[in-house]
Amino acid sequence: MTQENIFLFVPNLIGYARVLLALLSFYLLPCCPWPAVFCYLLSALLDAFDGHAARALNQSTKFGAMMDMLTDRCATMCLLVNLSLLYPSCTFLFQISMCLDIASHWLHLHSSTIKGSSSHKTIDLSGNPILRIYYTSKPVLFVMCAGNELFFCLLYVLHHVQEPAAWFYWLLGLCGTICFLKSGISLVHLVTASQNMAALDAAERETNRKRQ
Amino acid sequence: MTQENIFLFVPNLIGYARVLLALLSFYLLPCCPWPAVFCYLLSALLDAFDGHAARALNQSTKFGAMMDMLTDRCATMCLLVNLSLLYPSCTFLFQISMCLDIASHWLHLHSSTIKGSSSHKTIDLSGNPILRIYYTSKPVLFVMCAGNELFFCLLYVLHHVQEPAAWFYWLLGLCGTIFFLKSGISLVHLVTASQNMAALDATEREANKKRQ
Repeated sequence: MTQENIFLFVPNLIGYARVLLALLSFYLLPCCPWPAVFCYLLSALLDAFDGHAARALNQSTKFGAMMDMLTDRCATMCLLVNLSLLYPSCTFLFQISMCLDIASHWLHLHSSTIKGSSSHKTIDLSGNPILRIYYTSKPVLFVMCAGNELFFCLLYVLHHVQEPAAWFYWLLGLCGTICFLKSGISLVHLVTASQNMAALDAAERETNRKRQ
Repeated sequence: MTQENIFLFVPNLIGYARVLLALLSFYLLPCCPWPAVFCYLLSALLDAFDGHAARALNQSTKFGAMMDMLTDRCATMCLLVNLSLLYPSCTFLFQISMCLDIASHWLHLHSSTIKGSSSHKTIDLSGNPILRIYYTSKPVLFVMCAGNELFFCLLYVLHHVQEPAAWFYWLLGLCGTIFFLKSGISLVHLVTASQNMAALDATEREANKKRQ
């Protein structure tokens, strides 16, 4: 009986393409901005397809989900590195943004994963009204994530365009507002995930004490 | 009965100090290199104390462990951003290093966390001879991690010192070798963690198939 190979599942093949395109875009960024932007956007576009492929072909895997998220996190991180090179006076802000993005996602995922395997009550993330809208409405989630990414892309493009039109600055302002709001949401995530972790710790310590 | 507050545990207070010192160091890096280096090294030094405090006071928490690791990952990431500003032609290499560091640690932690809650056999990480030495020998682990960090710090210092002595270049070469080896180990981590995730996925799919 042939064993199916998780690594050859279609959504994961799309995932590898995303990784390679993202790597290529950052390799090209210093010398060839427009091919680099093309690769980056193509990588981001493919992000819409691997999820659909996974559901359509019944090939959803934890490995694929992690690869997807790691690609998102690392691509954003690398883009912020390049933005720091273009706007060195804003480096500290970009560093804060990177740390907030990585830390909030990581701590949230970790606390959810541990919580999933425990049977006691912890802080319900969706009890927070801000996060509830963020999680339950797909259009809201998409606009926030896409607007946030677009803000960074526009900042990059801004540096390479001679005289941007008025609409460009309007779009930049709109996406900048979304970026600011998403950063606030990430901060809320970080705090609630910390509270979840602490609640799990407290429950575990209580259990250990009762055993003694 | 008073409830103990996880967030006020001594090792976690040390953790907050580490975060603030690291943030301060990156805020100061552009204007004041030597105070910045001082804060960064102090933050790294405190890393040795929070673990001891946790064990001595019986205050080990999952929250504290995560905060510790996130501080390490983010501090290294931010330092590589500043190195990219100092050595722009090496930006892509620094980006690869950042991605490898974040992705390998994240995927390894995630696969270990999921695996810990399952009862089936997965690829034993310590079965890999390279990783076995890395994990079982504390001195080896310390030298690898410290040497890796020191390499980045020396690159930063190199840019600010007029005529470095010969021993400086020897040390840089030694730490550079350690950095290269640690990067290879991170790659091995990434691959084995992926294999672990895929093995977990395969088993879950098998279990789901049998249920049908």
